[in-house]
Amino acid sequence: MQVDPITLDIIENALKNARFEMDNVVLRIALSPAVREQHDEFPMICNPAGQMIVGQFGSYIPAVVEKFGGDINEGDVFVWNDPYACKGSISHNNDWCVMMPIFHGGIHVGFSSIFGHMTDVGGSVPGSMPANARTIWEEGLRVPPVRIYSKHVLNDGVLEIMLNNSRTPDMNRADLMALIAGCRTAGKRVGELCERFGHETYLAACDLLMLRTRDAMKVIIDQYISEDPVEFEDYVDDDGLGNGPFKMKLSIYRRGEKAVFDFTGTDDQAEGPINFHIHEGLCKLFFGVYMIMAFDPSINFNEGFYDLFEVVLPEGSLLNPKFPAALSNRLNTHTRFFDCQAGALGQRAPHLSMAAGYGTSPHFIFTGTDGEGRYFQLMELLFGGVPGRPRGDGLDGHAWWPLFSATPIEYIENYYPVLVDSYRPVRDSGGAGLHRGGAGIEKVYRVMEPGMVSIHDDREIVPPWGINGGLFGGTSEKWILRAGASERERIPSKIDNLAVQPGDRIIFITAGSGGWGDPLARDPALVARDVAHDLVSRHRAEQDYGVILAEDGSVAQAETTALRERVIGKRGQPEPFSFGFAPAA
Amino acid sequence: MRLGVDVGGTFTDLLLHDEATGRVWQAKTPSTPQDQSIGVAEGVRLICEKAGISTADLDMVLHGTTVATNAVLEGKGARVGLLTTKGFEYVLHLAKSWTPGPLFGWIVMDKPTPLATLSDTRGIPERVAADGRVIDALDTEAATRAIDDLCTSGIEALTISLMHSYANPDHERQLREIVAARHPHIPVSLSSDILPEFREYDRTITTVMNDYVRPIMTRYLDRIEERLAANDVRSHLHIVRSDGGLMSAKMAGDRPVHTVLSGPAGGVTSTVMVSQRTGHDLLAFDMGGTSTDVSVIIDGKPTISRSTEVGAFPAKVPTLDVRSVGAGGGSIAEVVDLTRSLRVGPRSAGAQPGPVCYSRGGTEPTVSDANAVLGYLPPVLLSGAMSLDIDGARKAIAGIGDKLGLSVEDAAKGILQIANEVMLGALRVITVQRGLDPRDFGILAFGGAGPLHANAMAELLGCYPCVVPPNPGVLSALGFLESEFKNEFVQTFIRSSRNTEPSMIWDRFADLATRARAWLDEQQVAEGDRRLIYSLDLRYEQQGYEVSVEVDPDLVAGQGALEPIFDQFHGLHERMYGVRFHVPVEMVALRVIAVGATAPVDVQTPAGGGDPAAAIIETRPAYFDGAWIDTPNYDRAKLAVGAKVQGPAIIRQYDSTTVLLPRHTATVDQFGNLMIWPEEV
Repeated sequence: MQVDPITLDIIENALKNARFEMDNVVLRIALSPAVREQHDEFPMICNPAGQMIVGQFGSYIPAVVEKFGGDINEGDVFVWNDPYACKGSISHNNDWCVMMPIFHGGIHVGFSSIFGHMTDVGGSVPGSMPANARTIWEEGLRVPPVRIYSKHVLNDGVLEIMLNNSRTPDMNRADLMALIAGCRTAGKRVGELCERFGHETYLAACDLLMLRTRDAMKVIIDQYISEDPVEFEDYVDDDGLGNGPFKMKLSIYRRGEKAVFDFTGTDDQAEGPINFHIHEGLCKLFFGVYMIMAFDPSINFNEGFYDLFEVVLPEGSLLNPKFPAALSNRLNTHTRFFDCQAGALGQRAPHLSMAAGYGTSPHFIFTGTDGEGRYFQLMELLFGGVPGRPRGDGLDGHAWWPLFSATPIEYIENYYPVLVDSYRPVRDSGGAGLHRGGAGIEKVYRVMEPGMVSIHDDREIVPPWGINGGLFGGTSEKWILRAGASERERIPSKIDNLAVQPGDRIIFITAGSGGWGDPLARDPALVARDVAHDLVSRHRAEQDYGVILAEDGSVAQAETTALRERVIGKRGQPEPFSFGFAPAA
Repeated sequence: MRLGVDVGGTFTDLLLHDEATGRVWQAKTPSTPQDQSIGVAEGVRLICEKAGISTADLDMVLHGTTVATNAVLEGKGARVGLLTTKGFEYVLHLAKSWTPGPLFGWIVMDKPTPLATLSDTRGIPERVAADGRVIDALDTEAATRAIDDLCTSGIEALTISLMHSYANPDHERQLREIVAARHPHIPVSLSSDILPEFREYDRTITTVMNDYVRPIMTRYLDRIEERLAANDVRSHLHIVRSDGGLMSAKMAGDRPVHTVLSGPAGGVTSTVMVSQRTGHDLLAFDMGGTSTDVSVIIDGKPTISRSTEVGAFPAKVPTLDVRSVGAGGGSIAEVVDLTRSLRVGPRSAGAQPGPVCYSRGGTEPTVSDANAVLGYLPPVLLSGAMSLDIDGARKAIAGIGDKLGLSVEDAAKGILQIANEVMLGALRVITVQRGLDPRDFGILAFGGAGPLHANAMAELLGCYPCVVPPNPGVLSALGFLESEFKNEFVQTFIRSSRNTEPSMIWDRFADLATRARAWLDEQQVAEGDRRLIYSLDLRYEQQGYEVSVEVDPDLVAGQGALEPIFDQFHGLHERMYGVRFHVPVEMVALRVIAVGATAPVDVQTPAGGGDPAAAIIETRPAYFDGAWIDTPNYDRAKLAVGAKVQGPAIIRQYDSTTVLLPRHTATVDQFGNLMIWPEEV
């Protein structure tokens, strides 16, 4: 069926609007800080086969659609959270995924789906992400794909079981209802489009939108992926049980018109919970979104290009673990997946490359019982250095993950017994570069009630690398300063249920990010500004940037020029990568 | 005699209303961007001359200004110093840590330099807890040193924004006194004055923005008052706020952040008036050269938003809830290479170089060019002052057509449809996203390009009637004339309903009401014109967004139980979002809005009678339904009350053109509005 190009663009715009409307509905209804303040929720709209037409990265639902065969009815809403039961369409139990078929005049025209991070889904520790889990049995309730609404009727039993297994049932209930409301919004919008253009036209348009993205991706593959493989390796620090670092290895090459992403050479699955059980389809989605954002952000992002990609995930590896491997703390691995991709593709297109970031999603969890005997559970996501990039400097203490934002400190202090003493970017944590890497942050929490603290972070051992001559960035650190003590003690970046007393301080330092381009080419005035802002030390200004500052902080031009010439003479062209880490032989 | 003044990018529009006779005069003078007050003073002189009155006869001058907005958008504000709590100096630098989607969206993110730089920020040793308790006393010695250092460094204004100051403003006030004693020439804003609400980043950026625009605003207001006084204008100058209310020029000088949406406010206020007169709920549709502003009027009332964005910066101030999208007459159409998809805007040709058909050097096809090619824009604009290069427009649009395999006409049509779809997105955000059905609304078209597109928007959304007011170009100035005095008094009060005594609410309301009345005294609003509106911001415990629930003044006076308010909240939440929860409700803020009514503008009814056929200027081809149709072009000035025009038709007037689509009719109503309805099928 033909769809005129204008109708096609109208449908594309309308679907994009609907997808943002889904976000807004979810954020307004949800109760947990994770979804509400930090936007840990991901909507999408799919065609009847379950392929994403619009979204950022949704879960990969064809695997679930397949499971139900033809038994999908108007008014059904599906829910699940077990990564193993949905072939990795979501990757840890905390993500509850909702999927709703959309019907128009009795005809199935697509799906809407959203997953969001629940504050707690049971298991051995508050927050359900035990840093020392060895199996998924310790990570909370697992719900396989089931109907929570069947032909418009709520399945109370399912809901009650799910809530009964959470430490935060009220939050989960509201968050789940928010996800469902978001899906219904999309259902309405798709229905209206079918009404306006006819469902045949709508469905044909969905196909064409995917085809259009496929055509664009073909051009990108031809341009940036050669038959000669490019390879890259990066590491996850440890698995929380003392094992590591874990290597991830990616080779990218073209075979005919297909781009092959091959993770052969990646380490075996870990004993601890850093395994990333990922569906091949989701992998393709991740590769695709990177390539679009790096090479041409004007392309609408959808699944149209999947048949152009081939993914190799060795069985039993970190990226394809066998049941019942623990999964909850997979974000380090997830992010390293992207770091490998950026490192590999950056070699072919240095002008469009980017360095590595803080490399995970750092969590701070504080639980206990307050003075009135009420249970509290604070879970906060922290941020770090966003990498140096072609467009300019990286961002200090910003979100590497899309659309997340920091919870206001005044909000946290209103609801939880903590006091934040200070919150600032870490000096010298952004890797030096023509475009400086973003700095990690240092947040000092003072706990005001006795309780337990859990922390998940990474890039404590293996720093974020720099690219095109840019240097590697600062690593993460965690410390505790006990009330009354004068010396702080180092604590690991992955730890559960550390007992704390009122007045104890946790010093939470996240990693920075790598620099982009030769730091000796950076405008000395910008280096002087960064020194004035206490983001770069005088020492590092000289050592990394070859910039010498006068007493008053201004650039000593002549000395700087001389120093830079000397260093360049000795160094020559910079290395393409700066790792700051050498794996044990 | 009241005078409304609207300073636009190209022209300053003035509207004078004589309450005694009901007469309205209109004048237009070129704007003077280097110093807007020159154009304003000239306009005042001109309109008084036209009306045959003395400038001394003016009772009130009502002025909407874009001075504050432009200062932020162009990055031309003052150098602002910032005092924070020690340990939180990077509050603006770290902002909300937000980066755009999708994954890797930060690759193309541009982050502007904060409005107060890190070099101009100092941390002050002190700390207050969430409940207002002092944890660390203010170290006045260290503070004085920091203040001396900062205030002698060349800053032009100073923001003081400390942690939890909304709960206890004492430290902020002490610091202000130190500054006043030692550096009296530096204007100071306290975050606890400007925005006494929690969320440190929002409060700080809003207060800093206030200081960023304050010196410019103060200088502007001084100049304008001087010039008006020199012209023997004796009345007070009042400034239009972002929420459509009025405030004194002095207050505007202290709190200029409240004027960031002063410009579009006039159009919304006018829409309110049209809505009240015609009895229709309306969508305001203001389409200009680079952007389109839309807002919704329900039950004759505009919706108020608690936050807005000025360029890249958020500002948490009450504003009329106007959504802006980057589609206007000057929006550029292009075909993206890789996907060959057609995009319209947000890039705009602006006034310079402008659309191709304006012959000012523009070479890229725009929405206006598409309108010209299809015969919607007449070959001559502004009563003969400007002729359009339609051949040039055709050539530019043909370039788009070639890439898409479409004829020039279909490419032009496509550009309009894509632009309409973008604007539709904005209209949908303000209606359906809030549970409102656009089909329950009419649409009011204004701005230069509004009447060209409004009928098509009405058809797409099913919102009728489509209303084109008599003077779509000066609707903003008219709105200023109809604005009321208005100010909000807010107190953050975060507390669960589980342990709230009703008296806690009623006492706080009483406090706010006292302050509201004092303000009305200051603005010299007569007793009979005063009104106080009470509202409570509520949400489910720990939810992130509040719902504002208006509290009946009788309930406030009766000081009874709070349950009726909570019931209202549950109902509203369900209506807006489709669910209600059985978790405790939480209070977030109390609000009292002081309103001082002003006299309405009586509209003269245009004369009736006459044959619409006599209003036809010419008949020329225009492209509708895939074919060129000989289409009558009417002179709007000759269409009297009751006149009925059959679509398709083009209705021209001095500064605007209305497209009437096939299968629609337009009737001139008793207020002179064109009311467009679809024909009964």
